[in-house]
Amino acid sequence: MDRRNSSEKTTTSQGSTMKAPPSISVSEAFIVNALCVLGLAFAFWVANTVFSIDLVSHPSLTLFFISIAELPIVILLYSRYRQNRQQCTYLRAVGRGVLGVPIGALLNFLGAIALGAPVTFQYLPKTLNWALMMSLFTTVPASCVLGSSWADWRRIFAQTKPNGSIEYLICLPAHGAVIGAWFGAWPMPLDWERPWQEWPISVSYGTIAGYLVAMVASLGFVLNCCRSQNIKRE
Amino acid sequence: MSSISCTRLTLFTIAAVTVQFIGLSIFVFGFFPVKPLLTGYSGLESFRRPTCDNDGAAYQSDASLPPDRLRFLYQEVSEVPPLYDRFILMVIDGLPAEFVLGKKGQPPSKAFMEAMPYTQSLLANGMAVGYHAIAAAPTVTMPRLKAMVSGAIGGFLDVAFNFNTQAYLEDNLLAQFFKIGWKMVMHGDDTWLKLFPGLFERHDGVKDTVQVDHNVSRHLGDELRRDDWNFLILHYLGLDHVGHIGGRNSVLMASKLFEMDEVVKMIHINTSQDLENDKGKTLLVVVSDHGMTENGNHGGSSYEETDSIVLFIGPKTHASHYFSSNHDTIFQVDIVPTLALLFGVPIPKNNIGVLISQMVDSLTDDQKLRALQLNSWQLFRLLQAQLPGLSCRNFLCDTFIANRGPTISDCKGGREKFFCCLYLNAAALHDAWKAKVFSRSNGTEGYNSIIAAYNEFLSSASEWLSHKATDKPINLLVLGVAALIMSCLILLGLVFFIHKEVPSWEMEDHDNYVKPWEIDEVFSLFGILILVASMGSSSMIEEEHYIWNFLTSTVNLLFFRKAIQSLDLNKARDALSSIKEKRNISRCQVSSLFLILFTGRILRGWHQGGVNWTNLPDISKWLEQAGNQYISLIQIASCATVIILGISILFIMQSKTKVLTVIGFSLLMSGLLVLQHFVKHQDMSALYNKDANLSVQIFYAVLGITSIAVVLILPWVMPMQTPEICSRKNIDMSASVPVEIQNMTRILVLKDSLYIVGCLYITSWCLLQLLLQQPINAMPVLLLFIQFLASMITFSSSGPCHKQWVEITALYNLGMAGHFALGNSNTLATIDVAGAFIGISSHSTFLSGLLMFIITYASPMLFFLSMVLYISVKATIYPLVIRNGNSGEILKTLLGFPCLVPLTINSLLLTVYTIVLLLMRNHLFIWSVFSPKYLYVCAATACAYIGAIIVVATVIHTYIVLFWLRKTFSSSSKEKGGPMVPMPPRFPVLLF
Repeated sequence: MDRRNSSEKTTTSQGSTMKAPPSISVSEAFIVNALCVLGLAFAFWVANTVFSIDLVSHPSLTLFFISIAELPIVILLYSRYRQNRQQCTYLRAVGRGVLGVPIGALLNFLGAIALGAPVTFQYLPKTLNWALMMSLFTTVPASCVLGSSWADWRRIFAQTKPNGSIEYLICLPAHGAVIGAWFGAWPMPLDWERPWQEWPISVSYGTIAGYLVAMVASLGFVLNCCRSQNIKRE
Repeated sequence: MSSISCTRLTLFTIAAVTVQFIGLSIFVFGFFPVKPLLTGYSGLESFRRPTCDNDGAAYQSDASLPPDRLRFLYQEVSEVPPLYDRFILMVIDGLPAEFVLGKKGQPPSKAFMEAMPYTQSLLANGMAVGYHAIAAAPTVTMPRLKAMVSGAIGGFLDVAFNFNTQAYLEDNLLAQFFKIGWKMVMHGDDTWLKLFPGLFERHDGVKDTVQVDHNVSRHLGDELRRDDWNFLILHYLGLDHVGHIGGRNSVLMASKLFEMDEVVKMIHINTSQDLENDKGKTLLVVVSDHGMTENGNHGGSSYEETDSIVLFIGPKTHASHYFSSNHDTIFQVDIVPTLALLFGVPIPKNNIGVLISQMVDSLTDDQKLRALQLNSWQLFRLLQAQLPGLSCRNFLCDTFIANRGPTISDCKGGREKFFCCLYLNAAALHDAWKAKVFSRSNGTEGYNSIIAAYNEFLSSASEWLSHKATDKPINLLVLGVAALIMSCLILLGLVFFIHKEVPSWEMEDHDNYVKPWEIDEVFSLFGILILVASMGSSSMIEEEHYIWNFLTSTVNLLFFRKAIQSLDLNKARDALSSIKEKRNISRCQVSSLFLILFTGRILRGWHQGGVNWTNLPDISKWLEQAGNQYISLIQIASCATVIILGISILFIMQSKTKVLTVIGFSLLMSGLLVLQHFVKHQDMSALYNKDANLSVQIFYAVLGITSIAVVLILPWVMPMQTPEICSRKNIDMSASVPVEIQNMTRILVLKDSLYIVGCLYITSWCLLQLLLQQPINAMPVLLLFIQFLASMITFSSSGPCHKQWVEITALYNLGMAGHFALGNSNTLATIDVAGAFIGISSHSTFLSGLLMFIITYASPMLFFLSMVLYISVKATIYPLVIRNGNSGEILKTLLGFPCLVPLTINSLLLTVYTIVLLLMRNHLFIWSVFSPKYLYVCAATACAYIGAIIVVATVIHTYIVLFWLRKTFSSSSKEKGGPMVPMPPRFPVLLF
């Protein structure tokens, strides 16, 4: 619902759907992914050494660090691969990405609530920070690249039919993060009485694990994509 | 592919269900054995050595003796003089031993120490001896009381199916006391009166919960002054209530403990005075039937719940040298032989407890050994009954005849041999010692070795007997499991067959079916696998509601995603009406799915179910804190909404008939009856008065008559004039075969009447639930109603886009999630027993049980009832089949999935869970987690049978009436119905 409304408001041009998406070389894809992973690692490192906190002891703050570290990396990197570069400047893509953060966070927040995340005030900051991180993993790259094209969004997120290398790079990690988060929720009801079974710690671990796995997978797909393009060209 | 005919499908299904039923019965009776209990009461024979022959017959009946003579006779033969004359049993319901004795050597918390100054001082100066008494699961009052008076641990089924208290007929202390002419008085919980009717001279059984303990204590002073009783039972319920309300750390707890301390003080001071005045020695025993968890619940087998207390407070300083003994741990049943021996009555026949030797310290060595011997004889007799091989003629008799003297052998070998050997060791040592006593060569080491030998036999026998319940005939179990697996495979095969068949009919229509697997289908299967896998983990069973909620909301999110797939925001392409319609459908789906997700989340937050996190805040607790007036307001509002919704969905139907008005009116009437009941009898205590009963009974009658009458009569009176829909949507006016038209018409009428019946079913079910459920559950009932209606809207517009089995699985999940949202869990403690007496004027086990089932399985049953509506909604999904006009094919299409899918899922879960139960039979939580869950699974199976039968009966009845019995009607309808419009070849997907 929200996704639809938000997209409706910002619908301006529909011409972009017709254009072929910008392609991305394997090395570039690797660099993008590597930088994202480095950002994650950096966030964890800062949290651990500088503030001496971790996901288990201070989930909210750590998640916030991750979001802060990933935010510039994701937006700046993915805005480079925006669709129809003629009409859309780099800055505009960055702006779209920044706009995508709260919208994505809202969607993920609602999704988490629907799946049973606690709604008490005690958990509100945790859920919000988790949603912020999810938004950076899922919707922000898409909003940088795709903008407000409903058809593209629908194709990638509702139908999972990515088309071209950059879309693989958006689609797979996003799905990986969601699926990882979904699986990450399973240990929560078990009675092991470990601190990491609290919402949203295990879910965040699941998210990150799924995200990382899907990144590797997306690299494979990009490789495949480029090879087939080369074959076509030849 | 060869298609399976309707008759064969039916036969196979019935066969599978029958096999399942038989397998289940075999398994249940194998797994929950009815323990071979000894009947009758212990008498004089219990003071004689067990012999090789069956005893009992050899001894003269002692029942004819007058009580006084019997008492003297007992004293004479027992050789253990009674240590006390009077006995006060003070039961403090739910008091954990930790409150008084502390935990693991640590003293209790300061607040509790200070709350019970007198008791603590008694403990400190050795006037009282306290024990941690481990209670057996289930830690519920009645079975624990039974254990405390009989020393036997009841079988699981005995506990589970004994919701209404019945007189306790097995051998127990009270009966023994009664036989020797004791006068008994009871004040407190009326469970005692139900268990032992007619045994008490005076009693004041209380059921109300507010003034509970005052009602007990107000008699106390009077009773203590009187001397016409020998046995006084005081059962204080207040502490348990305090726990239920506020948990262990409730603010009321300390004051309640202080109140209990005052009672102890009063009794002790009184009995001390009596002792001084030579009025006889009185033993005060303070026991609790069970403990409580942090939140004040009980029923399970956690340490907190099983940690009950036993305090012996008597005139003798029992064990001043045993100061640290306050932390000794015994079993709750151990108090039975101890009390029996202290008061000189035979130990009850089925007792598995062991004498607390510390309590008989004031006896001479000879008497102590005699006490142990009596206890051993009793246990040996019980062993003989449970182990037929233990008649051990060749061991027992040979030894006594030969009298080989104290040769101690190492005990090995089979169970029978082992027990025999242990027993004989002790007996031989004892005999030898006795012989030595005559020769005056008394040594302590000999004495100690006898004690040790007796204790070894007693403890091993007691332990084995208490684990006896897990001893199961493996053949029966395997047979049962095999039958269950077979029926499960048959059902799975049937579903697979009809799933394969559907595409072949519809191939030309929908390309969808060529596609291999959609994500929601994969997920539905995966979800079932997850459910199956989760059954192996005890914590997943305890927290099962999380799984159902998670799966349900995930499935709905996937449906949501699917709905978005076809959601087109592009306004430019709206020119074509078909696209517009599609868009509308998609929007409608998206919004109803959103509604389902939203209501689902509220439902989940309503009750924080399960076991481990019940103390977390939830909406129901919040509302209860806010006050009763809000709850009753919500209740009334929910009821009104259900009525309005129920009537309005009836009138949404496209073909309006006058019948609708009648049905709507009767629904309104029954709804108003419920409302009137709510308004008039808001407080629970009024539920039991006559006036309320009458109004509820009228409601039952109206609802029952309406439902049955509508189901029976509706197909006869539905007018055969539906083609107006076709004319409205008419696309193709070409001529068609009249038979086809007739079939189509009939199908539409069938659809309409099933729609009406379905609406009526679920609305009246919800009204019934509103009446029966606790007031706090009124809103969840409404939300469930909305969820099912919204699902129907979603699925009615989805057409063949989802597969039917996926939709039915999703609905099944919804039903199960709702089951837990209504506050149910997999422990027996959450069953709403209070509701089972609404509107029943005379006590009837059957009716109460039925109501309890209706309350507990409200949501799964709602799912089955909604299947009728679902069938109606989907009636026209396969036009090809319908136009063929083959009755079997039509019925198979209509009923195949809606009946088979739930039966199959249920069968799968049942089978897997049965296997899990078999594998887990030695698990620590077998009685507290796995077995109660199994009862729920069995009840869910019953629910599936009943639900499927209702659905099948309704649909087949409607079908037969419409297609066969109204043949004559069809000819007249041609004249009446005006111009018949031929059917379009492709039938449009119908909205409501």
